[in-house]
Amino acid sequence: MEEKILEILEEHCEEALTYDGDSMMEDGVIDSFTVINVVSDLEDEFDIEIDAKYVVAENFRNKEAIIALVKRLLEE
Amino acid sequence: MQFLSLPFVILWAIAFSLYYLVPKGRQWYVLLAASLVFYVIGLRGFPLGLLLTALTAYGCGLYLKRLLEREREELAACADRESKKAVKDMFRSRRKRLQLPCFIFQLGLLVFYKYAVVALPLAERLAGSRAGFLERVIMPLGISFYTLTAIGYVVDVGRENCEAETNPLKFLLFLAYFPSVTQGPFNRYAHMKEQFAGGRAFSYDRLLRGIQRFVWGAFKKLVIADRLGIFVDRVYGVEPSSVPGSVFVCATVLYMLQLYADFSGYIDMAMGVSETFAIALPENFRRPYFAKSVAEFWRRWHITLGAWFKDYVMFSFVMSGPGRRLGKVCKGKWKTFGRHVVPILGTMLVWFFTGIWHGRTLGYMLWGIYYGVIMSISLVLEPYYGVWKEKLHIRDGRLWSFVCMARTWLIVFAADVLIRSGSLEQARAIFLSFVTRLRPVSLLTGEITAYGLSRYDFLLLLAVLLVWLAVSVLEERGEDVRAYLAAKPAPIRWMCYYGVVLTLLVTGIYGGGYDTAVFMYQSF
Repeated sequence: MEEKILEILEEHCEEALTYDGDSMMEDGVIDSFTVINVVSDLEDEFDIEIDAKYVVAENFRNKEAIIALVKRLLEE
Repeated sequence: MQFLSLPFVILWAIAFSLYYLVPKGRQWYVLLAASLVFYVIGLRGFPLGLLLTALTAYGCGLYLKRLLEREREELAACADRESKKAVKDMFRSRRKRLQLPCFIFQLGLLVFYKYAVVALPLAERLAGSRAGFLERVIMPLGISFYTLTAIGYVVDVGRENCEAETNPLKFLLFLAYFPSVTQGPFNRYAHMKEQFAGGRAFSYDRLLRGIQRFVWGAFKKLVIADRLGIFVDRVYGVEPSSVPGSVFVCATVLYMLQLYADFSGYIDMAMGVSETFAIALPENFRRPYFAKSVAEFWRRWHITLGAWFKDYVMFSFVMSGPGRRLGKVCKGKWKTFGRHVVPILGTMLVWFFTGIWHGRTLGYMLWGIYYGVIMSISLVLEPYYGVWKEKLHIRDGRLWSFVCMARTWLIVFAADVLIRSGSLEQARAIFLSFVTRLRPVSLLTGEITAYGLSRYDFLLLLAVLLVWLAVSVLEERGEDVRAYLAAKPAPIRWMCYYGVVLTLLVTGIYGGGYDTAVFMYQSF
């Protein structure tokens, strides 16, 4: 699962893979368009629905946070 | 009563003293009292709009809280994923049914107030009321700011991004908090709740830092923005055909700086005042003219407004049922371009609303559409930038960064001609003057001093703009300038402090019928 998420991230925003901070959105690494495309691909890939309430800086602060979000949604 | 007035200093001094004298759990009462005094007596603001907005958002928040609790209870009783999904869908729809009338009411109030002002002179004549009375009732100060803040709160409670406030007075404080009530920044409840909870002890260093930021804001407002404003107003106030294009270029560049100095100066003052109460407001500017693209510019300019539109309009639209369905259809039809359709629609929606939020004129509407189109084009073309750069042998570096920054300035420059012009006709004439009669030599002759600013004013502006640039470069490198100065030897440190204060006192634009109290963004 993690590899697939990293693949999606790589397709839309390669920089996110090497980013080692914890505020990817505020630091301009990932913009809102990229977030929308990443969310759309994650939904298609894992058959989950990522509601707008999950699209906050906290859940997109780095690649680990995105992986954790998908895991949480899959467990729900 | 504005920030730059003696009554405000007195109000702040009383509030500040009481804040650190009362028991820590009750500090927020002092802030609420100061906020109401500032709004009702200081600004002579009629609080009806504020109270109605606060009441509806507060009530809606409480009801959402109950719905969310019931949803959790019912979800706990569900055995499988399907039934959980059904419960979630049902409660989502209930939340929407509750939120929608609240939004319609609050936005209706905003639209009514914003557009009713057009009919003011007639209404005052018909009512036979004193001049200005209806204007205060009809045009409550800060309505554009507290309405969006309240809507953001209701959305956040519904999304479980913050807990609903149960104390109506604390909620009123959140909307009416005096440093940010008239011009922002837009606060989020999740960020402010803990800070309003109290328990703040007095700190001499924090008081000093707050005052330093306030004085720096006043410096930008009085020494830079108001001085630039004299020239800009004069140039834009004359018949375009009588002014060379180069003077309009100069006035527009100075207007770009004026708007930035004015608004960021206000925000510095608001943040400085708030810092003295140990309450950190969110940053609203991050040196926007260093941006290398328009998208980045808007991530650095009026940050909290951009974040508001992104979180509550863009994401709400894109991730709504219709948004998702449209996205799927488009992706199925056009493989590459299809995925851009919904983000482009969301972008256009955001910028259309940003335009009409800023002003009632056609110029502002066009300004919004202009940025929306530019952002959308960038979105579609972004994947090709790397390829083109490679083909043209462009390497990243200082020169390329400067070219990107200059491109951003040019785009903002054109947009600012639109909003600074009194009419579309004037804007057209000004754009035409850039092509038909630029006459750059006018900038080198004495003609430039015929618009209210002397040679001395231009030299002073050059000096203070260089100081501002130096501060910005330090900040861009990650320095906390106040801490940086505090670490310097006392003579250097105090020379800097006295330099700013003396320049402010001696060269600030005061009196002479020039209203220093009015901030440009207040009119939004």
